[in-house]
Amino acid sequence: MPKRSTVIAASALAAVLVIAGAVTALTVGGQASAAKTKVTVRLWDDQVAKAYEASFAAFEKKNPDIDVTVTVIPWADYWTKLRTDVAGKNVDDVFWVDGGDYPAYADAGALLNIDKALGADAAAAWSPAVVKQYTRDGVLWGVPQLADPGIAVYYNADLLAEAGLTPADVADLRWDPTGAADTLLPTLKKLTKDTNGTTADSPGFDGTSLAQYGYNAGYDLQAMLLNYVASGGATFQDGEEYSFASPKGTAAFQYLVDLINTAHVAPSAADTNTNGDFSRDQFLQGKMALFQSGVYNLANVNDGASFPWGVTRLPSGPAGAISGVDGIVAAGSTSSAHPAETKRVLEWLGSARGSSYIGANGSASPAVTAAQADYTAYWAARKVDIKAFYDVLENGSAPAITGGGWPAADNAMRPLLQEVFLGRTPVAEGVKAAQDAANAAVAK
Amino acid sequence: MKWTRTAGIYLVLGLGAAFTLAPFLLSILTAFKTREQFAGQSVLAWPDPFTVDNIVRVLAGPAEFGRAVLVTLLAAVLILIGQLVCSILAAYAFARVDFPGRQVLFWVYLSTLMIPPVVLIIPLYLMMTQAGLRNSFWSLVLPFAFASPYAVFLLREYFRGIPQELIDAARLDGANTLDVLVEIVVPLSKPIIATLTLITIVSHWNSFMWPLVVTTGPQWRVVTVATASLQSQFNGNWTLVMAATTLALVPLLVLFLVFQRQFVRSITISGFK
Amino acid sequence: MASNRRRRHPGIRRRNTVTGYALLAPSLFGVVCFMLLPVLVVVWLSFQSWDLIGPIGFVGLDNYRSVLSDGVFGNSLLVTILFVALVVPIQTLIGLGAASLLTRDLPGSAWFRTIYVLPWICAPLALGVVWKWILAPTDGALNTLVGARIEWLSDPALALPTVAAVVIWTNVGYVTLFFMAGLLNIPEQILEAARIDGAGPVALFWQIKIPLLRPTMFFVLVTTVISAFQVFDQVYALTQGGPAHTTDVVAARIYYEAFSAFDLGRAAVMAVVLLVVLVVITLAQQLYFRRRVTYEMD
Repeated sequence: MPKRSTVIAASALAAVLVIAGAVTALTVGGQASAAKTKVTVRLWDDQVAKAYEASFAAFEKKNPDIDVTVTVIPWADYWTKLRTDVAGKNVDDVFWVDGGDYPAYADAGALLNIDKALGADAAAAWSPAVVKQYTRDGVLWGVPQLADPGIAVYYNADLLAEAGLTPADVADLRWDPTGAADTLLPTLKKLTKDTNGTTADSPGFDGTSLAQYGYNAGYDLQAMLLNYVASGGATFQDGEEYSFASPKGTAAFQYLVDLINTAHVAPSAADTNTNGDFSRDQFLQGKMALFQSGVYNLANVNDGASFPWGVTRLPSGPAGAISGVDGIVAAGSTSSAHPAETKRVLEWLGSARGSSYIGANGSASPAVTAAQADYTAYWAARKVDIKAFYDVLENGSAPAITGGGWPAADNAMRPLLQEVFLGRTPVAEGVKAAQDAANAAVAK
Repeated sequence: MKWTRTAGIYLVLGLGAAFTLAPFLLSILTAFKTREQFAGQSVLAWPDPFTVDNIVRVLAGPAEFGRAVLVTLLAAVLILIGQLVCSILAAYAFARVDFPGRQVLFWVYLSTLMIPPVVLIIPLYLMMTQAGLRNSFWSLVLPFAFASPYAVFLLREYFRGIPQELIDAARLDGANTLDVLVEIVVPLSKPIIATLTLITIVSHWNSFMWPLVVTTGPQWRVVTVATASLQSQFNGNWTLVMAATTLALVPLLVLFLVFQRQFVRSITISGFK
Repeated sequence: MASNRRRRHPGIRRRNTVTGYALLAPSLFGVVCFMLLPVLVVVWLSFQSWDLIGPIGFVGLDNYRSVLSDGVFGNSLLVTILFVALVVPIQTLIGLGAASLLTRDLPGSAWFRTIYVLPWICAPLALGVVWKWILAPTDGALNTLVGARIEWLSDPALALPTVAAVVIWTNVGYVTLFFMAGLLNIPEQILEAARIDGAGPVALFWQIKIPLLRPTMFFVLVTTVISAFQVFDQVYALTQGGPAHTTDVVAARIYYEAFSAFDLGRAAVMAVVLLVVLVVITLAQQLYFRRRVTYEMD
């Protein structure tokens, strides 16, 4: 009989051999052909990734020497991974960045200067708002890919009808911190019900237990804050310094917080602060009448809503109806091992042909101006009118967040603003504290 | 009297079980719902219509879940073998060999347990990059394959309970240290090794941050990272995530059921104390 | 035993040294390369200013000053200690209770054992999301059951106990497993002898079983205290440190400093301080358990 030690050693060795064999098999499966230069593209949106796959198939036909690989990193982990990969110089040749995060990478020298790489004229083909958002120190740092138009309001037509309203009644709503010219709140009161079915404009309304919400007022930078601050005649940032605690800015915050905690026409911040999907889910479940959001929720609403719905302009404030805009760019890595091929891929992404796939599969609104019609056409074919998202831009727009310190600033002000929306900190005090914390974090 | 007490015990155990199982029920229910139902109804609603579409999509979809399971399994088993071998040797040294520096070294081992793993990620990542191992199978295995201070600690505590007489007797028969380990210590330690096997596999099956950071793309994606890849910025895809979570639990459950028999049986057989 | 050792031959000593280090070699390689080296890097980072992509610069004690002077980290330490004080005793008691019920050889014990261990073998992040649905203020399962609107995760007074409850739920299986092994290892003769001496079931449990469980207890307490000090997954999934930093445990704070604010220097300082705190606590635990051993031997 063999010794126990021999048996143990033999079986461990066998296991290791089997594993080594399996790993080799898995490695071989992933090898690319050697003759082509491999260019990798990283992004977080799996729908746009599908458009990219189709787009790069066309690109590879015209450029047989290049093999483009698309990698999707989910949004929740994208920034953690991008930072570490840039730190280790392992980042993909082309990668997406957003407005709040790109300055740190540009300042660190990780991004290609697009003006130099593709020529200063190239920018003429792209959405001016996005070009402006990604120009820092006079240099453009990415090829514009997505240009979200403005924010608008999705409405549930059934709930409007139930309250005796038509879409036309919610097409030109106004909010006013003084209350004098306010038409938003009275409308929302008609659209909000407690669990007894009493609407918020009737006596006996119990604001502590709602069955139907009028609106999604809450701590949502893109869908709410930027637009309310701008429509209130204030700025969120002055240059790179946070300035939202100005009197007009504070009034806008106060108005939003009152909608939640005084008028009770919006869900409690306890529901929405740490669950960004709460309001959309309530809207899709037919429990919210007006849902303010962007085109990024079009596909979700179109797939999920089992009631007639439409899109209308966001409410106007003392300074008009002004929406924030936001764009996404594809940046080139300065540590790419094959800059010439990377440049050709960036050129393709910035061309009308290369970008047309994004609009054509309805995944997002392309930032290449010539490709934008495809997006409208896609939704028109599905009988969805997305004009409201674009028309609002005629009133001007609020700039997106900018500056190198956004991650730290966001980190610093989030807990403070969440308390404001929960109604536990007085608005003026909390907003001021959040602004100070954000500026202190940026200064560090 | 006797049966009321037994009934009371079952009542307590049953309540505990219900409390333990309820969240799993919710996750399994969600795995069998349609996306439309999940978006349109309360999370508590019963699946209607009942669908296996999520399971199919997880297994056949672009997340390549099957591949991820294989990668995770291979990595976990390799780590397990490495850790068991290295930790048994080290634990025996700490428990039974009297050498200078033993106390200090043991405390060094133990104190590495106290570093929050999240801060080790950046240094380890830079090391793997330097070694050219980033985004490879070995980057998943190497940092953990040599020893786990936890395993050394657990085994040392256990080895100290093995009667010295057994070891001395073997020594008199001319056995060297390795013989003692293989012929006496390891057979007597089956229950604890079984426990350790379960703990090691579970913790590496569920580890997320390190595989996320050190690998990119589908080639070496592990189960947790594949599950996270089902989500997108504006869509949580919870029906898919719950299907993946439920699927990922099955191999561990099988392992536990196998282990559990081993666990009880070997304790009753040995009982050397 | 100790005196025996001193009398040993110097040749045996040398051989022991060689054997000891030979046995340690493979694991020592792993510990040095993949733990001590990274830890040294972390200690070095605690004196630097680095955002991962920019240049690294030496800043002396600035990070220590900044971390120790702003209230954020002090609050995190306090929250963590409170959390450990909530979680460890409760889960130890529940685990002990469950283990003693499950080692009675009742039919069906194996099933209960399997059920209790489930939460611990499942990935904590996914389960965190399920708990979030259960604890949601509107339409959450628990509030539906209770029939009241309780804001489990956003009420500052409730958030930490709620997270602690979820962590206990996760860990009970692990603790139970160890206590079961410990209880099954107690020789039947000892229990029999105590019964003959007239010990009732309660006395048997507290005066015979618990003292005999001491090695298990030491191991379980050391590892669960360390893991409770490092709790991250459930906090990340449930509250992300909120509301108003009431669940901002140290590991979550370190994660945010390192991977959200990208301030590696501050994150490193916090890790170093946590390490020191844990070493002190573990030393104290060891001293306590060792004293108890000698006390009973006398």
